[in-house]
Parts: sequence; C-alpha cells; structure tokens
Amino acid sequence: MDRYGNDGRANARTRGLTRRDLVSRSLAAAAGVTLGGGRAAAARAAAPAINVGVLLPLSGANAQFGINARNGIELVADRINAGGGIRALEGATINLVVADATSNPATAATVAQRLISRNSVVAVLGAFASSLTLAVSEVTERRRIPLLTMSFSDQITGRGFKYVFQVVSKASVIGKAQFEYTLGIAKAAGETLDRVAIMYEDTAYGTSQATGLRAAAKEAGIEVVMDEAYPLGITDVTPLIGKLRASGARAVFPVSYLNDSILIIRTMRQQRLDIPAIGGAAGYVIPDFHRALGEYAEGVLSVNTSNYDLAPEETRAFRERYGYFMVHEAIEHAATMHLLARAIEAAKSARPEAVREALAAGRVCDGIVKALPGGCVAFDRTGLNTETYPIMVQWRGAELVTVYPEQVARAKPAWRS
Amino acid sequence: MKRPLRSLPAVAVVGLAFAAPLALDPLGYPMRVLTLVFLFAAMGQAWNLLGGLANQVSLGHAAFFGIGAYTSTILLRDHGLTPWIGMLVGGAIAAAAAVALSIPTFRLRGHYFALATLAFGEVMRVVANSWSEVTGGPVGISVPFLGDDAAMFQFTSSVPYYYIMLAALVGVSLVFWRVKAGRLGYRLRALKENPEAAEVIGVDTYRAKLAAMLVSAFITALLGTLYAQLNYFFDPDTIFGLATVSVRMALVAIVGGLGSVWGPIAGAAFLIPVEEFANAFFTNQAAGVSQLFYSLLLIAVILLEPRGLVALGGRAARLARREGRP
Amino acid sequence: MDLLQAVVNGALIGGVYAVTSIGLTLVFGVMEIVNFAHAAFLMLGMYIAYHAWAAWGIDPLFGSLIALVVVFVLGAVLQRTLIMPILRAPQVSQIFLTVGLLLALENTALLAFGSEFRSVQTPYQTSALRIGGIFVSVPYLAAFLMSVASGAALSLFLRRTDVGRAMRATAQNPTAARLVGIDVTRMYWIAFGLGTGLTAFGGAVILPYMTVFPTVGGQFVVLMFTVVVLGGLGSIPGAMIGGLVVGVIQSVSALLFPIHLQNLVLFLVFIAVLAVRPTGLLGAGR
Repeated sequence: MDRYGNDGRANARTRGLTRRDLVSRSLAAAAGVTLGGGRAAAARAAAPAINVGVLLPLSGANAQFGINARNGIELVADRINAGGGIRALEGATINLVVADATSNPATAATVAQRLISRNSVVAVLGAFASSLTLAVSEVTERRRIPLLTMSFSDQITGRGFKYVFQVVSKASVIGKAQFEYTLGIAKAAGETLDRVAIMYEDTAYGTSQATGLRAAAKEAGIEVVMDEAYPLGITDVTPLIGKLRASGARAVFPVSYLNDSILIIRTMRQQRLDIPAIGGAAGYVIPDFHRALGEYAEGVLSVNTSNYDLAPEETRAFRERYGYFMVHEAIEHAATMHLLARAIEAAKSARPEAVREALAAGRVCDGIVKALPGGCVAFDRTGLNTETYPIMVQWRGAELVTVYPEQVARAKPAWRS
Repeated sequence: MKRPLRSLPAVAVVGLAFAAPLALDPLGYPMRVLTLVFLFAAMGQAWNLLGGLANQVSLGHAAFFGIGAYTSTILLRDHGLTPWIGMLVGGAIAAAAAVALSIPTFRLRGHYFALATLAFGEVMRVVANSWSEVTGGPVGISVPFLGDDAAMFQFTSSVPYYYIMLAALVGVSLVFWRVKAGRLGYRLRALKENPEAAEVIGVDTYRAKLAAMLVSAFITALLGTLYAQLNYFFDPDTIFGLATVSVRMALVAIVGGLGSVWGPIAGAAFLIPVEEFANAFFTNQAAGVSQLFYSLLLIAVILLEPRGLVALGGRAARLARREGRP
Repeated sequence: MDLLQAVVNGALIGGVYAVTSIGLTLVFGVMEIVNFAHAAFLMLGMYIAYHAWAAWGIDPLFGSLIALVVVFVLGAVLQRTLIMPILRAPQVSQIFLTVGLLLALENTALLAFGSEFRSVQTPYQTSALRIGGIFVSVPYLAAFLMSVASGAALSLFLRRTDVGRAMRATAQNPTAARLVGIDVTRMYWIAFGLGTGLTAFGGAVILPYMTVFPTVGGQFVVLMFTVVVLGGLGSIPGAMIGGLVVGVIQSVSALLFPIHLQNLVLFLVFIAVLAVRPTGLLGAGR
C-alpha cells in the first residue's frame, strides 16, 4: 500500500509541473520545426529555470532501478529549489526534464539528442544501465554536454571522453573489492577460504564485475573451482547450484539482478548448501531482496558502491518521502544532481562548457555526496571519481548495514558459515 | 507516357528529403529523427523483399543486421579496415548465413517459418554474448573514434549521416522496385499465391525464395553497418534483439503495407516519429505512459486497417473522391 | 546420478512450460492466431496470485484458480474487442496486433502494479525432498502437479463436455463446425479465455519460486513458442510433450555445456527438429 501512496505523491508533483510544460512545449514544438533553435532561448528568458536532462529506463526490465534513480534526483532538485535555487544565478531553479530511455540504446541516444536540442539542457544525468549510458555518451560528447552517471562499466571512462563523469568505482574495481573484502572478513572470523565459486549473469554488468573477481582471486592465489556465466532471465538455477555443490567451494560470489539472486539463495537452501553467498550489489541490495527472502536474507553480505547509513541525516528524507530506504542507485543519481548544482554555482553559469570545467576542477564533499564511501567527489582526467571506493554491506533485519572496510563500518561484519 | 507521371510523387518526396537539411539545425533533433526514419524505412524495405513479396515472415532478420554491424566494426577495430569495405564483407557473411538458414527452414510454412527464424536470431544473440574474445561479449563494442574521416566512414557532423541513410533508402527502394517488377518478383508472387501451383507451372520455389532471402540478408547486413557507424556503440542484446530489430523491421513494413514500395516508407515515417512524440509528450509523466500510448496507437492502426497505412490512405482518398462528386 | 537429477528437474520445470504453452496452442488450434501477448497473461496471473497472497494470505497454488477465472474473463473480452475484428486479416497483421497488446499489457501493469519485484513467502519454497541421492524441489513439484492436474482437466473438458467437443470440431474445421450448427464465434472467445486463463494459472503456480515484475513474461515468451512449435502448433498433447522436452533439454544441456549456452542448444535442437519434421513432433501438417 505504501508504494501506491508514494508513487501518487511523486506523480502529482510532476504532473502539476507538466501540464504547464506541455502547453509551452507543444506550441514550441510546432514552432521548433521551422524555427530550429530559436525557441529555447526564448523559453530561458521567460523563466529563470535551468533545464537538467534526466534520462533513465522508466519502462522495460530496468524500470525499477530507473524509478529509484529518478526519485533520488527529484529529492535533491526539490531541496535545491526550496532552498532558493542556484544563488550564483539569482536563484534560478532546477527544472528536471525526465525522459524514458527505454531499454534500447538507440532510443536512449535519440532521446538525449532531443533533451539537448529541444530542451537545451545544461547536462544529462543517467542512464543507469551501462549500455544506455554508453550510447548516450556518444551523443553528449559530440554535443559537448556533460553527462553525469553511476554506470560502472569500465568502458565508460575508458574511451578518453571529456564530458563524461562517473561518480562510483569501475566494475572491475567493484569485483575486486567484492573478493578482497570477503577475504578480509573471513580472515577476521578465523576462516580460510581456499576454494571459491563465481557465478554471474551474462550481461555487461555481470561479466565486467566477474573479471574483477577473477583477477583478485588469481592475485590472492585462491583457487576458483567454478566460474560460470548463465543467461539473463534464467528460470531454473538448479543446474547451477548442482555444479556449485559438486565444486566443493567454500564461498560463492553471485553477480545478478533480483530474480536470479532470489532463485539462487532459495535453491541453495533447498539443497541444504549453506556456504556464504557474497552478492555483487544490484539484486542483493534493494528492499525487495529482503521482502522476498525474509529470514533467509539475514546476514547476507554484498558489495555496494554507497549506502544510506553512511549519511543518515542526508538520506532520511528519501525514506520519509518514498517509504523505503535510499537505495544505492538513488543515492548516486542524487549525488550527480548535487554535483551538477555545485558546478553551476562554481561556474556562475549554466553554459555546458563552463559547467564541465567546474565539474572537472571541483571537489565536493557535502550533502548527499557524504553517503558515498570516501565522502567526496573529485574527478580525474578520464572523468572517474578518484575519492570513492566500494564497501561491503550486510542485511540486518530489513536494513542494510555497512560492515567493511573498517574506516566506514557502522557495525562489525558477521561471517556465517 | 504513364511512367513519368507515376514517378512524380517519388521524385518530389526524394527532392524534398534532399533539401530538408538546408532548413534544419544540422546537429538537431529533427535531423536525428529523420535519419532514423530513413534507416528504419530501408530496413523495412529489405525485409519487404522477403516478407512482402514472398510472404515469408521472418522474425530473425536481426541476425543479418547484427552480422553486418559486428563484421565491419571488428574489421575496423582489429585490422583498421574501413567500414566502407567491411560492410561488403559483412554482407557476404550474412548472405552465407542466409543460405545456411534456408536449408532447414525453407520447407516451413507460415508460422513455423516465422518462429524458426526467430530462433535463429536468438542463436546469433547467444553466440555474440558468449564469443567474448571476438565480439567483446555482453559489454558491447564501441566503434573506434577516428575523428572526421570520410574514408573511414566517420563524420562529426550529422549531415553526412542524413544523406547516407537517405541514399540507402533510395537504393534499397530501387532494388525492391526492380525485383518486384522483374522475373524474380513474378516468381515470388506466384509462390505467394499458391506454392503448389507455382511448382506446377515450373517455378523453382526454393531458388526464388533463396534469391529473395540472399538479397534481403545482404542489404540488411549493410544497414547493420550503417547503424553501427551512426550510433558508435552497440551490444548483442540490442543488435540481435527480437524487439529492437527483428520485430521493428517487420513492423515498419507491416504497418505501412506489405509488398508495396511505399509501405515501409510510410510505416517508418509514421512509427518512428510517433514513438519519439510519445516519449517527448509524456516526459515527466509516470513511468510507462509513453509506451502505453504508443502500443495503443499501434493496436488502433491495425484495427482500423489491417493491411496498413498505404491501404488506409487509399481508402481515405477514395472516400474523399466520392464525397467530392456532386 | 547427475543425469537422473537433471532429467527429473527438467521434467518438473517442463511440466510448467507445458501448462503455460497449452493455452497458446489451444488459441492457435481454434483460431490460427499466434498470440505474442501470451506471456503477458502469465505475468497477469502472477500478479493476481501475488495480490491474493498479499491481501488475504491465499497460497499462490490456490490463488491460481482466482487467476484462471479473472484472466479467463479478461481474455474473453479482449478476444471480442481486439482479436475478433482481425481474424480474417493477414497473418502478419495479427502478429502485430498481439505485439501491440503485449506492450500495452506490460505498461498497464507497470502503471497499475509498479515496477517492484514481487515475491511471495511460503513455508515450502525452500524445502526439497531427498529421494535416493536426488533433490526434488517442493515448489517445483507442487507446480508440476498443479500443471498436470490442469492439463488433465482441460483434456477431460475437451473430450467429455459439449462445449469441449464443439471446440475441437471448430479447431478441426471451422466451416464444417458452422454447418453442423456450432456457434463458432462463441467457441473463439471461450477458447481465447481458456487459453489465456490457463497461462495465468501457470504463472500463479510458479510464483512460489519466481519473482513477478511487469516484463517477467519476456523470460518465457521464446520458451513458450519453442514448446508449442516443437510439439506442433495446435496440438495439445504436442504442447505437453514439447514442454517436457524443452525442460529436459535445458536441464541436461547444462551438464554437458556451459550454462549460458543453454538456450543455444535448445534453439539448435528446435531448428533441427523442424528441418526433419516441418510441422513439429505431433503437428497435424496444416
């Protein structure tokens, strides 16, 4: 029930905003065809608002994550507007232009083109899935518009692009941390891990994170007794768990979205296989995981790129407004909004070029950014945030608690075997 | 006497399309939408060769599209070969794949053929996902960025892409028109009407279907390269996707009207802008509204005229003539 | 032992594939429409069972009956309003009407139910029987038994009741059926309602081990088509066998090949079977 109420509230808010918008947009669209770019300038003069493109998968298989991310961005944008807007620009307000990236990269790229030329956005935030973000970045780079993202495929910052900014660690780094942190936690509990298993969905996210896991295992000299990819949308994981059982692994690293992660945990239970499963974020760190598994979620560890308990005072408002804890994709997208606002303040301008310079030069350590491990964001030349690192979280009841590494841990990790 | 008059609208449309960029923002959104319209119209036209003329409904053309995109991109990445040549290699591989596919499938009728080709597309998707050493796997593949270099099929401006897609559409439409008017078209029509009767009057139905399939697959692969060069990035799930490519290609042809040269053009000119419009109009609305609107419109068009937009246009024109009479 | 485990497991899963596909084949058999929206009805069945569980604590295995009834009505209405007008349209137009319907149902579900992943909690969902050295997952077994029961009920219905016999006659030859006084139009909507209802039923019985979200059908749609075509379009025994075959192929291929090639093996077998038998294993060869 809570969900309906919350969605309703969020929609009512945006809808109020849209009706006005729609009229002006359809008029402008009609004019735009013939007059080209003339209308954007006129719109900007009429209202002191800064258009920010928000491009997320709001339909299709990733809708859940896209909606979470949108909620995070809205929270920060509303807070900025309520606090008097952008001071350096005479209190100009942030106007979010939210668009559905669908699950098709080509569509996402076209929508990005529209946000840039129709809505004259100062920057684009999004687009959650790496494939969408990569496609969008090809457009934003050519149009010289900053793109702020939390997609962590290594390719994103690996192409020498100047206008892409990535707030969390790369997938290979996350995979490596997933492995090394587990080793650290096990060692502290007096366990030795000599044989481990890796299983991952054959998506961009799964394969690139598995690469990091594999490299870390090799470095640590630990035998990987099972290393299996499986198709996204698998409906029966029994063969997978059969192989896991036969492999004699002492711990398993599954990298998967929600459906598979639930299937994996339940099937392990069925087959009375109780080696620890250390999740690879995504499906393991959303409220639905606990809702689906109940007591079986207790004590499950997962790597993560941020967590709400690192900055409770900043993330509380999210829970109050939407009814669930501030999930990592919401935190990280909220951080992109916050960074963008800071950059506009610093640049004293909403010109994309100036904002890019401010983003590249600045270092931000306040607001929602505090919920990122490391607490600060500063970008290197490739656009990667150099101040953050992955963390390990653990389910305690219906909450996710940061347990590793020690400098940010909110509780001691429990090793269950 | 009749010919020049009949091709007048075609010439007018093409002329208008060629002139349009003069009035449009070269980096703007309308240019992008039009470019996509041309690309998808060309894809629908390629599909139309087999689906429209021979009534062989393929739901696996993404296989050829993806083969084209991957071949030219991999050749560029690993051997520095320009996509202008790479696309021909891709076309050849796709044609070979079409022959391989034809062996188990050409005996199949109707739905069986459609679903077997669908499985073929899925096979290619799994292969591209699994064969990471070559394809880059599920993370996808980026076209290496080389700056403005026409010889390497890269342009920083979007105007060249616009003309390339337009030229592709005109080219594919001419091929379609020639095939339809030629002997192959005659054979395909015969086997479409009645395969048994066609055999009896001496049409080698297997060869006719294979010829149509080869041309269609070859062209589809070329268009796959164009897509790759336009977007600079793709992954197996998109390029070999059932919904993103296979169904869309067929949809463009069907919504427009099967077997006519104007069908895919009308279909793309309707579907792509409508989808964009829905996405833009319902911006800031609850998630899912724009897709819902798009799908309802699709249903409405098919209910209104199952034979497609061209037939609907014809009906409207007849109606108008009747109204006009005193 | 591994092989036996794989076969048992594949058969249990395959039973569910069978029941979800029977609806598809029934609809095709009676009115020769390939319904691409079919998997969306599976999703609806899962949502109905989920909400019955969330609101009243009804176990999805029983909630499946609610799903069956509700979706039967919905299916019948959709048949009368959307499918009926295009029954005589070209095959391709029918395909695309149902593709449109698929998109419409998925996005309506997104608006109505939200994007969350929903899952029920039942006491048996993490238990398994151990027979010899073989694990038999209880939720799989329950879903399998429910599927078999529904398949048997459908087959009784088609053989023993007047409506069922009339439906079979319509499937064999609509013109002749009309001549002997069967209300063919009525058969159409009953068949469509029944087909979609059964699929919703299948969705509900797998809810104890699957998670529901608006696009969950996408995981099943290609499988369903494979099952139905393998068995022969329109053949109900064919769908049963096709379901089991697909389940066992998936499960056994995981022993021999890397698991991510599971579907590759399946589709290659599928194309190969069609090459040898162009109308499927039990196809009537229409």
